[in-house]
Amino acid sequence: MDAMRGSDEERLDALFLAFRDCPTPEPSVNFMPTLWARIESRQRIAFSFRRLAGVFVTAALALSVALGVYLAVPHSNQAYYSQTYIEAAASSNVNTADVVGPVLVDFSDSGR
Amino acid sequence: MLVDFEVIKRAQTGESAAFNEVVLAYRKRVLGTIARSIARPEDVEDVAQEVFLRLYFSLEQLRTPEVFEPWLYRLTVNAAYDYLRKQRRRMEYRMSDLSEQQVIMADAVAGGKIERDVQYHKKIRESVDSLLGAVSEADRILLMLKEVDGLSLKELEKIYKVNENALKVRLFRARQRVLKAFGGAGKAKKPEEAG
Repeated sequence: MDAMRGSDEERLDALFLAFRDCPTPEPSVNFMPTLWARIESRQRIAFSFRRLAGVFVTAALALSVALGVYLAVPHSNQAYYSQTYIEAAASSNVNTADVVGPVLVDFSDSGR
Repeated sequence: MLVDFEVIKRAQTGESAAFNEVVLAYRKRVLGTIARSIARPEDVEDVAQEVFLRLYFSLEQLRTPEVFEPWLYRLTVNAAYDYLRKQRRRMEYRMSDLSEQQVIMADAVAGGKIERDVQYHKKIRESVDSLLGAVSEADRILLMLKEVDGLSLKELEKIYKVNENALKVRLFRARQRVLKAFGGAGKAKKPEEAG
């Protein structure tokens, strides 16, 4: 069994050795031009991507600044929010009966 | 080193002429490693270009030119591995899947009986390719670097950044698997010999 294995080992080594001796493919004449074409193509893609990313960053920055300015500027309807609902309701209906305040009962007229 | 450190430093700064010099110096070696790893001559050049493409875009990350060669080997190994993975051509080869002709070839190689010509080399490649189907893509490349390219464990350690003992274990297991497939092929051939 071991002898068989040993023989397999030798045959495998011989096969690897023969494989090592196989000629390696020679680079074609277009190797360098094709390589540079691929490099330039990838550079172009990277450049376009970087430019697109730059546009997005600028747009995001501009949007953030605009939003910041919008939130920082006080708005005219801000007063509404500083009042409670009751106060707002009372101030918008000055002439109606004051349902919130104490009820005043005039006893002077009732005796007559 | 096939080029001076100075050339690598210049290539790192983006000098095209220096990069050309590096490619011209190393392309034959890279082509050889890839040819032995993927065993598909028609795709070798394409994968080699991918290696140099990755080299071009990552050269500035190289800290010292002294480690350039193991680093280039790593790029080569990774590109070959990516190619093999993409191909998905690992079809759980066993030696029994090999044609009778391939088995005869494996024997003939050991005996040195066959004339060396294009057909012969093609068949050697096919035999090795089929045998290496018994191991994973990563182990296949590792085995090639050790057994065929003849790299030492120290060199492999630098390339893979893995402990030498771990590499030894991985290599041993991979070789045993290939050996098993090889032995299986021998057994598969015997009944036909008898008949």
